[in-house]
Amino acid sequence: MNNTISKILVYFFLVAVSVIMLVPFVWMILTAFKTVGETTQVEPFVIVPKVWQTQNFTNVVKTMDFMRLYANTLVMIGFRILCAVITASLSGYAFARLEFKGKNIMFAIVLFQMMIPVQIFIIPQYVMASKLHLTNTALGLLFPGFVTAFGTFLLRQTFMQFPKDLEEAARLDGCNIPETFLFVMAPLTRSSMVALGIFTAVFAYKDLMWPMIVCPDNKATTLASALAKMNGQYSQKYPELMMAALISCVPMIIIYIFFQKQFIEGVTTSGGKL
Amino acid sequence: MKKKASSRQISEFIWGWLFIIPTMTGLIILNIYPMIDTIRQSFYKTGDFGKGNVFVGLSNYKKVLGDAEVWQALWNTVKYALVEVPFSIVIALVLAVLLNKKLKGRSVFRTIFFLPMVVAPAAVAMIWKWLYNSNFGLINNVLGIKVNWISDPNIAIYSIAVIGIWSGIGYNLVLFLAGLQEVPRDYYEAASLDGANSFQLMINITVPLISPTIFFVLVTRIIGALQVFDLIYMMIDLNNPAWKKTESMVYLFYKYSFQQSKKGYGATVVVVLLAVIMVITAIQLVGQKKWVHYE
Amino acid sequence: MRKKVITVLLSVATAIAAVGCGAASSSAKDVTVQSYDDILPEGDAFENSIGSKEGELMVAIWDEGQRPGLQQIIDEWSKELGIKATIQVVDWSNYWTLLEAGATGGELPDVFWMHSNVAQKYMENDLLLDLTDYIDGSVKIDMENYYDGIVKLYQSNGKQYCVPKDIDTIALWYNKTIFDEMGVPYPDDTWTWADLKENAKKLTNDEHWGFAIAPGNNQEGYYNAIYSMGGYVISDDKKKSGMDDPKSIEAIKMFTDMIAEGSCPDLATVSETAPNELLCAGKTAMCISGSWNLSGYRDNEYAVANCDVAVLPYTSSPSDRVSIYNGLGWAASANGKNIDAAWSLIEYLGSKEAQIEQAKLGITMSAYIGTSDAWVESVPAFNLNGHINMLDAKLVFRPYSRDTTVWEDMLIEKLQDAWTGDTPVDVVCKEIAYEMNAALAEEY
Repeated sequence: MNNTISKILVYFFLVAVSVIMLVPFVWMILTAFKTVGETTQVEPFVIVPKVWQTQNFTNVVKTMDFMRLYANTLVMIGFRILCAVITASLSGYAFARLEFKGKNIMFAIVLFQMMIPVQIFIIPQYVMASKLHLTNTALGLLFPGFVTAFGTFLLRQTFMQFPKDLEEAARLDGCNIPETFLFVMAPLTRSSMVALGIFTAVFAYKDLMWPMIVCPDNKATTLASALAKMNGQYSQKYPELMMAALISCVPMIIIYIFFQKQFIEGVTTSGGKL
Repeated sequence: MKKKASSRQISEFIWGWLFIIPTMTGLIILNIYPMIDTIRQSFYKTGDFGKGNVFVGLSNYKKVLGDAEVWQALWNTVKYALVEVPFSIVIALVLAVLLNKKLKGRSVFRTIFFLPMVVAPAAVAMIWKWLYNSNFGLINNVLGIKVNWISDPNIAIYSIAVIGIWSGIGYNLVLFLAGLQEVPRDYYEAASLDGANSFQLMINITVPLISPTIFFVLVTRIIGALQVFDLIYMMIDLNNPAWKKTESMVYLFYKYSFQQSKKGYGATVVVVLLAVIMVITAIQLVGQKKWVHYE
Repeated sequence: MRKKVITVLLSVATAIAAVGCGAASSSAKDVTVQSYDDILPEGDAFENSIGSKEGELMVAIWDEGQRPGLQQIIDEWSKELGIKATIQVVDWSNYWTLLEAGATGGELPDVFWMHSNVAQKYMENDLLLDLTDYIDGSVKIDMENYYDGIVKLYQSNGKQYCVPKDIDTIALWYNKTIFDEMGVPYPDDTWTWADLKENAKKLTNDEHWGFAIAPGNNQEGYYNAIYSMGGYVISDDKKKSGMDDPKSIEAIKMFTDMIAEGSCPDLATVSETAPNELLCAGKTAMCISGSWNLSGYRDNEYAVANCDVAVLPYTSSPSDRVSIYNGLGWAASANGKNIDAAWSLIEYLGSKEAQIEQAKLGITMSAYIGTSDAWVESVPAFNLNGHINMLDAKLVFRPYSRDTTVWEDMLIEKLQDAWTGDTPVDVVCKEIAYEMNAALAEEY
């Protein structure tokens, strides 16, 4: 009995939060199918479009080369995830589990980096990228994402969570440091690595300042920056903007749903090894 | 025995450095050097495009300390963080614990909570402006009230913090879920056999077990909140009477450095913010010994 | 054995990661140098260009709406010269970051737009190609043919740095349906500012306001009234503020009176919903709008069905009807790869035929005097003569100085107190003038 009530309460809470989370998303979908006039009409409010304007879709697809933008975005996201996971798990492990001279000062630098607002980096990083002739190139998009202080800190925290005896056991089995890292410790952090992957993907996907500046060419840029350009300085075609936003976030949701499985299944197997 | 230990030390030293070199090189070149350059600029009255800088010593800092706008911006930033951080963490933690249990439809819920993270920033601003609009907005019309959510100087910063909570919950949730997944199951089983209820379980078992993750979320979230910029930039413009009471430190930095070509003064503002963040983070690093449990 | 292999593999992975991350850092030790020029090798190993190729010009603008039309015009030029030029769009705020970065040590685009807010700074620092001699030697370009204020704006020390691109005018946009409903005749060229004020009152009821204006509507708002009534915002030598001039105060007071009377929405309303948005929502009968907003009205079917354009009112005689105007300029990078091609493109874009084409395609009105008539036809739904006829009004160039945004932002912020009625208008205007004079003094 008590159990049922608590279950109902749990669901009530989850549904309530879901509704709040969903309202803006639903609004985006509805707006994507409205006319421009319907978006500015206030009395009465137009919540559901009178006629679903499918030509917003055709217009957007016509003006934006989505296949190319998807490709650019996915290349950027994929490479940033790869770089982030490799460099951050190596350094996160070293900071959490190894003792060496200079470690604290280096870790302080990692923390320090996270405290600096990103706006500081934009101009110097652009100058570097431009000197290396990386503007309007795929490498230019990846450039600031080669390493991640956030990921290093995240994985360091994760590695800290595990019992010391795990490593002791591995060492007694004759594993050296890289082996211990690769075969014993790294597999345990799969969930955090997936989380880091998700974040890297989301941050890269949402970042529009850097792609906009380093790759102003419409052929070389990413979804987010192409979207931001649509939102003109003076004219705001909200329905087409929302339509473009909608089209561009669909792959992200699919990726998340896929990752989410990894998240859960990955862990039960690694948990078994414990 | 003694010899073995020292060879272990040497090997940890070598591998430790090899492991961190990629990250450290990247960070120093891409991030730390620009920051050092910014700190240097804060001692100059900067000319156009980095040319013709005049060294002025501490005079930018003197000006900042006496600048009411800077203090107001700092206070606005702190108010934002005080609302956004605790709410987004507590709600996300509760959701994470609930979603970590066997529950019908939990993957659907997880996806829903994740959605705000993939909505384009321009879309976020538009929808919330529509919700908050005092004359024509949904909130006021549904509740039959007349509140100037984003143009009343006393309320606006909290209204913006609500958007921050909305978009931050998914972020925290992903991290908490990851942390919970790595907690060994047997701890739970032992505790539930003892007859502890869910709430006790959460406070006494879950929170301490994932305290390193909570600590991580807390540190990064506070830093993120103190750097709030995009939301305010998109929601509030110069026409808005709440402008002065919502302007954040990074906004102020952006205004001076990017819009008014007063790079030196902008740099000073950001160094002050950095100092504040460093102090707060240092306090957390020291304070963690009291509540964060590492194995 | 297995152990060795793994160790080797891992070292390789680390090394690759180090190289990948350190690509930019072949001399990382030298972090104390002053400029990035010194740290970074001039390498082309990473050249993997998707976009601009060698010999191709990069043209940077900030308005995606103008890109297709302008690219069409540029393609005409390419056909003649055999040089390709691609337009790249960067949104307004990032555009200036890009130029700033280009000016600080990177590369500026070959050809790009300049704006009155910052032109002085770029010209003084020799970042823009000096076009004086090119113009002297050109048969297509003669500065006499363009609106004077725009030509002068892009001059520094007697040199010409940009060729004018376009011009904007300000007009009175109104909602025909509300006028019909309230039985008020449509605005025309006989209206004075006093008529505007009086009719705004008549057009106000519980459903809508007669007129709407926000403190940020300067060029498309109170600046026009200030100059029309004989006041000024900044002196010709850019050293003194005119905001405390009695005529300027009078102009501002006209608008704040309308707010106090209720025929204009309060500050909270206009700060959340801009006047042009209120017009498109049927919540205001009139607002003052710049010609650059045209595409916004064109795309809004409510505006197309209900709204139209008239000239701005005058004060005492039609000769004091004022339009505050601004215009962009085409500039080239002083150290671009292909300066002659860049000039040739600018020369083409400034030529009479391209300027006519620009108006005809409905991109914008053109800076070349007498080429904008075709623009009237670009959106048949509105009587754009309201905007075109403003070209015959007294054209006053948008008030600017070396660091315009510094005092302009302050001005908008301070005016809020006048909008709410918390502080009398004359007190606010005097405060503005005081701070503006201080800001102007700092510019030299």
